[in-house]
Amino acid sequence: MQTITYRQALNETLRQELRRDPDVMLMGEEIGVFEGSYKVTAGLLNEFGPKRVLDTPIAEEGFVGMAAGAAMLGLRPVVEIMTINFSLLAIDQIVNHAAKIHYMFGGQASVPMVLRTPGGGGIQLAATHSQNFEAWYAYVPGLKVVVPSTPYDARGLLRSSIRDNDPVIFIENLALYNTKGEVPDESDDNDYTVPIGVAEVKREGTDLTIIAYSRMTVLALDVARRIEDEEGISIEVVDLRSLRPLDRPTIIESVKKTGRAVIIEEDWHSYGIGAEIAATIQEQAFDYLDAPVRRVAGVEVPLPYAKVLERAALPSDKHLTKAIRETMQGVRR
Amino acid sequence: MSQSMETPSTNHTSEQPTLPRHLQLGLSDEQVIAALCGMQRAREVDDRLWVLSRQGKAHFVITSAGHEAIQFGCGWAIRVGHDYVVPYYRDMALALALGQTSLDLLLHAMGKPTDPASGGRQMFGHFSSRKLRLVSGSSSVGSHIVHAVGLALAFRITGETDIASITFFGEGATSEGAWHEGISIAGVHQLPVVFVCENNSYAISVPLKKEVPVPDVATKAAGYGMPGVIVDGTDIFAVYETVRAAMKRARSGGGPTLVECKTHRLRPHSNSDDHTKYRPADEIAAMQEHDPIQRLLAYVVEHNLMTQEEWDAARQSIRQEVNEATTTADRVPDPPLESLFAHLYGTEEHDA
Repeated sequence: MQTITYRQALNETLRQELRRDPDVMLMGEEIGVFEGSYKVTAGLLNEFGPKRVLDTPIAEEGFVGMAAGAAMLGLRPVVEIMTINFSLLAIDQIVNHAAKIHYMFGGQASVPMVLRTPGGGGIQLAATHSQNFEAWYAYVPGLKVVVPSTPYDARGLLRSSIRDNDPVIFIENLALYNTKGEVPDESDDNDYTVPIGVAEVKREGTDLTIIAYSRMTVLALDVARRIEDEEGISIEVVDLRSLRPLDRPTIIESVKKTGRAVIIEEDWHSYGIGAEIAATIQEQAFDYLDAPVRRVAGVEVPLPYAKVLERAALPSDKHLTKAIRETMQGVRR
Repeated sequence: MSQSMETPSTNHTSEQPTLPRHLQLGLSDEQVIAALCGMQRAREVDDRLWVLSRQGKAHFVITSAGHEAIQFGCGWAIRVGHDYVVPYYRDMALALALGQTSLDLLLHAMGKPTDPASGGRQMFGHFSSRKLRLVSGSSSVGSHIVHAVGLALAFRITGETDIASITFFGEGATSEGAWHEGISIAGVHQLPVVFVCENNSYAISVPLKKEVPVPDVATKAAGYGMPGVIVDGTDIFAVYETVRAAMKRARSGGGPTLVECKTHRLRPHSNSDDHTKYRPADEIAAMQEHDPIQRLLAYVVEHNLMTQEEWDAARQSIRQEVNEATTTADRVPDPPLESLFAHLYGTEEHDA
């Protein structure tokens, strides 16, 4: 095994996929000469040239729609949207076109495109640069939505996403790019993939299940480790990895085992991913619950710029710890 | 290519060849000196923000260096507090030209509760003031153009005359759907709005030829039923003359205009990039020769509006002012946590 960053995992995987399949191409703002706003496409223009690594004008609806068009002809465009916030400028192309084309054409055309984009806050980029719209995309049948939390999953899911015949929204996280994790050495890699729609128990436990994804998985693992050390509570952490399709059986199996569930998500509390998970648990594991299902999520304001306000608005280890303790004590809110 | 305006922006020496340009344009010596000092104030605040960003006190910095003549030239053409101004993130000097202070900008950059733009809510570069009729926007490039058009539509509907809105954007924004949609509607209804493109030939790292399919943004106006005018954006007088005519035209029911001001971005896009990585070194060196502040200073000295000594003293005093504003802003406590939900919904009374 080798230890690399989340950013490196994405960068190397894009390079491998561009080498492996001549139909794979990249497009987006600032991805060529500038190597991406978060340097995920570093070195790729040099290696693959401007035909396969295309710097686009600032025209999100235009180039996302263009990717859908190219994908219908069999190319596999991997589009970078600088931040998920700007994906809203392309949402008609994503929701009314890419997601529905295969269905509306009666299966006569596929749209094998990937839309890579980072979400998340915590680095003072304020209200229109720090949002979490995964719930918007996870809502839409016809899209697949993945949210890797580790370099290993980022690599495996990116491979699966590029090779998938349907449009995949691949959501990265600003605060994860520099995080490190183990991936196989090149010689042992065997071109592994992480299947879309399969969650993973990242940590086993018996007393309570935390359900998380993306950056919140990293936070949940830290909190679980600390609480077990300090308070002897055994916590299981389920990393969703995909939001659509959602791996309901893994969630249910874990909750049936532990009898308690806390969901943590970086997006806003109401109508978020947590609401869907909580509904699933009560539908399928109600009789196994020893306490109400709890959600820890972002405060419902546009994310402010001032550091103190931003910190107060984002879900933290403190909020999660409090929710875990209350759930263990069976305290109702 | 571009249609002519009612007041031609060239050949300013035809009528009174001996009169200095600013007097021909009806500008007083004091106005010119004030603009030069304002442009220097913008540059000084710009410099300061890069330092504060390295100190972790101003998280986000976006430069206006090289754009000052455009923004101060437009400042003269805007009736402050009357016309509506819809800026973009490059318009720090414009905020100063309209009457914001160094302290206002530093409070904004440091996210303080007294930040006049947003009370610490919005990242730097999103200037606003209801009193100055300076309208805040989102970070999505080009998405504010339509608001300027909407304001102009509102003047039309409410029967307000002798008023215009003016909006600013980079040439990169002219690729966005909202830009085309907004300017198209303005052309269809011949609304009282002026579109000012601050063309510095880079959209972050992407050069003009990869973002705009024609050499001049002004030619795009032809498709939208309005004149497009090109002006040297390092020449404050040329900008003023052109934009003044466009505003007059808009206010008097003559319809919209697209003004393209060509200039150079003297610094990286923001504190998250290093332009030496994507711009040729000789280009970076050469553009320093086109610094709009130096150009206006040369004019001021040539016409004896200020001596070099007076300029040195003015610069010193501006630096002192920015030093004091920095200290003052830094001492303001961060916003209280209980203010987190303030302004989420519109319960406040607004001053018109």
